[in-house]
Amino acid sequence: MPKKSKPKSAKSRKSAQNPRRIAQRALAFGTNAKNSIKARVKAMADVPLAMCEDDKSLQTVLKILREEKEPIEVRLAALQALQAASFSVVAFESCRTDYIATLRAVAADKDLELRQRVLGILAREKDGFAQKKLLEGLQQPDKALLPPEKALQLLSYDVHAEAYPIARAIVGNPPNATAKREALRLLAADANAAPTFEKVLRDKKETSENRQISAAALQAIKPDKLRTHAREILLDTSEHDEIQATCLTALKQFGDQVAIVNDSVLLRRVKRLGGKGSSVVKQSARQFLSKYGQ
Amino acid sequence: MRVELQINNSADPKTRFLSWVPSPCRIRVSDPSGTTSPTISVRITGRSQAAGGAVVFRRNATDTFSNDLTLPVPITGTSVSFFIAGSFGRPSVNNGDVTIEARSGTTLVGSVPVMVRIRKNANTLTPAERDRLNSAFAQLNNQGAGRFADFRDMHTQVASPQAHGAPAFLPWHRAYLLDLERELQTIDPSVSLPYWRFDQPAPNIFTRDFLGASDPLGTVQFSANNPLRFWVTDGVQGINRRPFFSTNSAPPGLRNEANTLGLGNQYRSFRTMEGNPHGSAHTSFGGSISSIPTAARDPLFFLLHCNVDRLWAKWQRQFRRFDPGQAASYDSTPVSRIGHNLPDTMWPWNGITGGTRPPTAPGGALASSPSVTAPGPQPRVRDCLDYQGTLNPLTRLGFDYDDAPFS
Repeated sequence: MPKKSKPKSAKSRKSAQNPRRIAQRALAFGTNAKNSIKARVKAMADVPLAMCEDDKSLQTVLKILREEKEPIEVRLAALQALQAASFSVVAFESCRTDYIATLRAVAADKDLELRQRVLGILAREKDGFAQKKLLEGLQQPDKALLPPEKALQLLSYDVHAEAYPIARAIVGNPPNATAKREALRLLAADANAAPTFEKVLRDKKETSENRQISAAALQAIKPDKLRTHAREILLDTSEHDEIQATCLTALKQFGDQVAIVNDSVLLRRVKRLGGKGSSVVKQSARQFLSKYGQ
Repeated sequence: MRVELQINNSADPKTRFLSWVPSPCRIRVSDPSGTTSPTISVRITGRSQAAGGAVVFRRNATDTFSNDLTLPVPITGTSVSFFIAGSFGRPSVNNGDVTIEARSGTTLVGSVPVMVRIRKNANTLTPAERDRLNSAFAQLNNQGAGRFADFRDMHTQVASPQAHGAPAFLPWHRAYLLDLERELQTIDPSVSLPYWRFDQPAPNIFTRDFLGASDPLGTVQFSANNPLRFWVTDGVQGINRRPFFSTNSAPPGLRNEANTLGLGNQYRSFRTMEGNPHGSAHTSFGGSISSIPTAARDPLFFLLHCNVDRLWAKWQRQFRRFDPGQAASYDSTPVSRIGHNLPDTMWPWNGITGGTRPPTAPGGALASSPSVTAPGPQPRVRDCLDYQGTLNPLTRLGFDYDDAPFS
């Protein structure tokens, strides 16, 4: 009579649940071009552990990322797995140079989504190569790897003074509305841009979003200016609800408590907004009044 | 006749916060006028507001909990000890939504408002809880000039080896979250850090009223009355976060809770969750949160890590892994890297810089709590394991999760 196989099965089950074995199996599956794209993408989620423990595994995934013949979905999944592995920073450190070199190599890939993600990773690493490419693309649009709004957004991870002139130029003559918004966001760290923000904030023809970005930027770089403008905007009965709500939020969070509780004109106006304004203004007014004891 | 109720053994209102872990309390007669017998019998109960928290009591550490407690209290003013805990499943919604009442006969002789302050699923917060959290975060950030900058500076590429890729990944982040949460509570004591349960849909988090809704570019949009619209880190306004999944569903490919808790009963196996689901949750987005150097720029980072910590807490409970002296509770195989051994102090709270530590130590000591003493200003790795004080009540860290009862 054959022996019972229970002990062997238990051992086998335990082995199957071992996270390291799961990772190795996932790597073998995810890199096998014979498997379906969907299944390969799914398998890549379990690969990071294998890469952290084995340089050969990491090189295999880097190769997938570089290989233009691989389906883009699999390459993006490989990139995501590499990023997840990079969180185990020490284990990943020995391969870091290869990782960055591979990212730079695919930064000009034909696939926009891959370029965007790769340049994003490099920009967050404050990578000089990526910053140079992004700036070049803004100055010479025919060389751009990304749309201007995306390039501006990525440059904001490490704001350098050399990005300010092109951002100012884009605010003055924007290629599209989103690019203007991102240029304003980038300039928000530039104390010299305060007059620009004052102008945008008070321009009722500007988009609500740009005016709100300007309010937030002024709050950070010239808070006194914002308080003055915010008061005037709140007293202006022709102002837009969204911008009045933003000003109320700014004053509630960061306002000068003594000045506000002694400003009877402002308090009267906010009380009126709390009773008659739109829902967003009413809510902001109520929060404002609850803080300032009215 | 009046009695004084002391929560967490203190009359200071700042200590009137409870979790699932029993808090040591005292009662004493503060005004004996009108009484003649040497002791009076006082019945202590908790009165909850609608949808508010609830509490339970016990006289001694080994007693079972009950909804009320009757104690003989001497009129000399001598204190009598007892314990109060949050009733599991009944956390507070607002500060003071439970009142501890003491009665002699039918006469109310003392009362104090308390809060059962628990870390909750962020997707289920009430609008008021959400708004208080956002407001506290915004004030801590203070347009980039606030104390939040220290927390941002603690989680950078150069500091990363202190916190990642080695056994102290979980203890370090537990201390980090606790430090931040205590700072938020200094601003608003009713706030606790919620968690983003990334293996379930959490559409309420990714809204303009909470942590913001991402536009196609990945720029996060906030409603006009959300103070997070004034968020600034590293001198740059706003938050970049581009989800690679529909925020009405959970990110695909992440190991779910059951599978994470099933990674094994040894810490060495469990900590492999640093890759999936932890790393995978980070990289289910583009934007700041997807890279170590910038991840802590996004407030979502702290909700993500709160869930990572919650998973560890649940794993600890499942396998009884609170004891640093038990091999399976930690990965104590020789680790050369300082900061990852059980007796090591952790950077930056220890203030040690240079050598194998980062060149600066932002933020100073870990924030203290009015209610508990642990883990102290310079926590060691071992101080972060027994968060509920199951081995020694003095080591409890003062937080709990809505779905992880007292062990």
